[in-house]
Amino acid sequence: MLDGVEILTTSGIVLWRRHYAPIPRSVVNSLVADVFIEDRRLQTGDTQQPPTSYRKDKYTLKWTRAKDVGLVFVAVYQSLLHLSWVDTLLTAVKTLFLKEYAPELAKPHLTKLDPARFDPTFDALVRKLDTGSTRRPSVPDSEGPGELTPPSSSASATEEAVDEPPPPPPPQPLFRKPTAPASQRDDTSTDATPVPTPDTSRPSTPASHLLTAKSGPGKASRRARKAQQSFGNSSAPASSGDESATGRAQAGKTGTAKAKRRWDADGFAVEGEEEVLDYSTAGATPSQADNAAGQREAADVPAVDSAQMGTRTPKGHFILKDLDDDISALLANPPHQQNHPPTQTTPSDPTLLTTATTKLTSLFQNILGNKSLTATDLRLPLAQMRTHLLAKNVAREAADRLCAAVEEDLLNRKTASFTTVDATLRQAMSSALTKILTPSSSLDLLRDVTATTTTTTGAGARPRPYVISIVGVNGVGKSTNLSKLAYFLLQNGFRVLVVAGDTFRAGAVEQLRVHVGNLSALARRGGGGSISLFERGYGKDAAAVAREAVGFAAGGTTTTANAGGGAGGVGLLFDVVLIDTAGRRHNDARLMGSLAKFSQWAHPDKVFMVGEALVGTDSVAQARNFAKEFVDGTGRLRNNGIGMDGFIISKCDTVGDMVGTLVSMVHATGIPVVFLGVGQHYGDLRGLNVGWAVERLMR
Amino acid sequence: MSTSKDWLTWSFSPSISAIIVTLVISLTLPILIHTYLYRKAVAKELPTLLLLGPSGAGKSALLTLFANGTASATHTSQEPQTATCQIPVSTRASEDRYRSENDTSARTQPKFRLIDTPGHGKLRHHATSTLTSAPALKGLLFMVDSAAVSSASGLTEAAEYLHDILLLLQRRHTQGQTSKTPQAIPVLVLANKQDVFTSLPASIVKTKLEEEIAKVRQTRSKGLLDSGIGMEGEGADEEGNWLGEFGAEQFRFAQMQEHGVEVDVVGGNVKGEGEEGGRVDGWWEWVGENL
Repeated sequence: MLDGVEILTTSGIVLWRRHYAPIPRSVVNSLVADVFIEDRRLQTGDTQQPPTSYRKDKYTLKWTRAKDVGLVFVAVYQSLLHLSWVDTLLTAVKTLFLKEYAPELAKPHLTKLDPARFDPTFDALVRKLDTGSTRRPSVPDSEGPGELTPPSSSASATEEAVDEPPPPPPPQPLFRKPTAPASQRDDTSTDATPVPTPDTSRPSTPASHLLTAKSGPGKASRRARKAQQSFGNSSAPASSGDESATGRAQAGKTGTAKAKRRWDADGFAVEGEEEVLDYSTAGATPSQADNAAGQREAADVPAVDSAQMGTRTPKGHFILKDLDDDISALLANPPHQQNHPPTQTTPSDPTLLTTATTKLTSLFQNILGNKSLTATDLRLPLAQMRTHLLAKNVAREAADRLCAAVEEDLLNRKTASFTTVDATLRQAMSSALTKILTPSSSLDLLRDVTATTTTTTGAGARPRPYVISIVGVNGVGKSTNLSKLAYFLLQNGFRVLVVAGDTFRAGAVEQLRVHVGNLSALARRGGGGSISLFERGYGKDAAAVAREAVGFAAGGTTTTANAGGGAGGVGLLFDVVLIDTAGRRHNDARLMGSLAKFSQWAHPDKVFMVGEALVGTDSVAQARNFAKEFVDGTGRLRNNGIGMDGFIISKCDTVGDMVGTLVSMVHATGIPVVFLGVGQHYGDLRGLNVGWAVERLMR
Repeated sequence: MSTSKDWLTWSFSPSISAIIVTLVISLTLPILIHTYLYRKAVAKELPTLLLLGPSGAGKSALLTLFANGTASATHTSQEPQTATCQIPVSTRASEDRYRSENDTSARTQPKFRLIDTPGHGKLRHHATSTLTSAPALKGLLFMVDSAAVSSASGLTEAAEYLHDILLLLQRRHTQGQTSKTPQAIPVLVLANKQDVFTSLPASIVKTKLEEEIAKVRQTRSKGLLDSGIGMEGEGADEEGNWLGEFGAEQFRFAQMQEHGVEVDVVGGNVKGEGEEGGRVDGWWEWVGENL
């Protein structure tokens, strides 16, 4: 049971939608944000298979895209269901929609469509595909184009309608379907007595009469009863000769079936047979029915062969031929081609003249611009671009993905006038790099710290210290960058507590003690902050040390906490807590596992991972392994499912132009780069300027 | 040969027919050349308005409302969208401001182009590049969700974006390469979603934004240096990065007037609940005045 299908443009306008159940707007919005804009699926590391399903809350979303016209087709359904036909539905919807609205879509700047033209096509498609038991009753939708027979609504009748041989061409035309039975469809559906299938092993007159008189499923029971009554049989259901049918049909019911009670409009049971409302049999009782008999001009309608107009689905629905053919042809051969055939036809027999002229024309077109880009055009420049990126120390996986994304973007586009293919490619690559490196929301550390240490929100939350922790593999510069960060915070007047969370490496605590000594001397000269060190020696559990430190910074004993708690961070001993951790190899499972415990005990506000700019392809694995460790108590990754809050790329002054590590790490995890370390002095910490980085990479 | 010589002789002779022919040719030829060259005359460039703002404010819905007359359902935008809109009949355009109310002459309302840009953090470069490069940019529409502004995170996001945009406009005005200052671009802050229960009225939105922008410019000035510090020569000085009046404690939108940027804050809502449509009259008025 589909919850809804939406068709939207890349600029966000919904062109067509069909909702079977209310869908919150945030579901599709988060699909667009997480998958299309931020590309979070890359973090799973599964590069083989582009996933086409996305889960959010209790919904699963599947989608497909039409890149040339800029459309996205989304189908939403509940995650509990497993609907296998949604992919086929999306492909078929895409093809049919593009065909239906081709003239409007060719115009630029499309903001509105007439949705009603697509509704019947969509209904027919859904009805065709959705044949499972989870089918939603089609009450809110239109009945479809050619609903000429009442649907068989009871399941058992459906099965038997499938099994039984198709009825012989009825003597009377189908158009002579009186309206009265249509209105009494419900009566037949609630019929307790099922269709008595003719049992050929026991031929008897009543059965044969039933067989010939049947012109549609679901009606036979009534007809059977009429036939019985016309033959003066008892009100036992199937003829006495068809006990097997009766037995099979009435599984579990013993004894004779009850006579069906009829109700009139006032709610009283009607006794006896006063009206005959079944007009389908040839020899039926003469129409004493007063309602529609006289006005029916059924006799005037010429005989029509139903098979020419369309076909029946297994459920007995009659679908008009043209739609059905369209759809079934579509479903049988899903269109596989996505790109138009290349506009430049390569000559089959390359004579000298043709190759020369082709080369000349392509050369001129290259210079003059307005050239439609094909795969062969892009192949060589893209290979050169990939080599260029690899030379800039971008990891191979990231470079491949970037080139594939740019190629997909540029295929079948026209170059601008007087731009070569190379220039267009460079431009596209620059914008792709800018998009990756730009964070979704920029980090403003000073404001966050001020906000956390001074606010008392309405819920009565006490101000608490801001906890930042630094993680990374061995030797990347965690302690150095931590002291640079401390210097920056000191210059802005905060009180900083440095926590020696590295209880393993020899000399780690002493190193921090030296740094803290230097920084406190610098802070005395100017700035207005204060700094001190919290350490518990070597060999202790880092998570316990961190938790103790945070408690100490928050105000130490409970009395001071209660007395000071309230306005302006008075009760806090320190505003910021910087926790240093031990370096660990990212493939050491035991050490990585202890990070989860660390984050749950210390509750850091920010987790920064330090990566050095010199590292090569290992950066991707490092980033991914570290990011997935930071789960909170419920098992969900902190920071909205991302894990860490930012990267600090250290040793950037040693690499010069080759700053590709920035791209690799961001590409692997989606976590932005917040700081760059550009030296070994306390002031050598910079923010990231995206334009600078892209210019360095494209140089 | 003889005929050509004859023609040449005739054309240089002072006969009446030759004079007349010369006059006709010399007068009509420039006209013909002119019509040929200007036949595809560049249509007067339509004035452009740029629509930007944080994500979820209602920019795409406003675009559909202005372009089609009714707001359609929208989701997060991934790409910018342009649409040609026309001021409705009820609004008075600035070029008609001296007309009498009872003027019955038919006048067509002016048209303009509206460019809607994505509000997501990663896609804001569309807006900033259009700001610096668009020809005939007549105004900036900065859309804000009045209900989100009441929360701290929504207010911060909106204020940061607005601060960046205003700084761009200020730099454009003060750090131009030529002595001629570029044409001033007025800014309208649209406080959308006034029909929502938790929304703040437009005046409160204004004061909140001003306070928050003051905090943002404070932290920006004290923050870390950028890694691109050597790149742009003159952009690194403190005064260039300070919005409004240098060294002032508070920030007011009026401080932007010295840089030629007029900022107004007007409330309204694009989608009304039930049958009543959106109330966008205040916005149309501003558009009509500033186009």
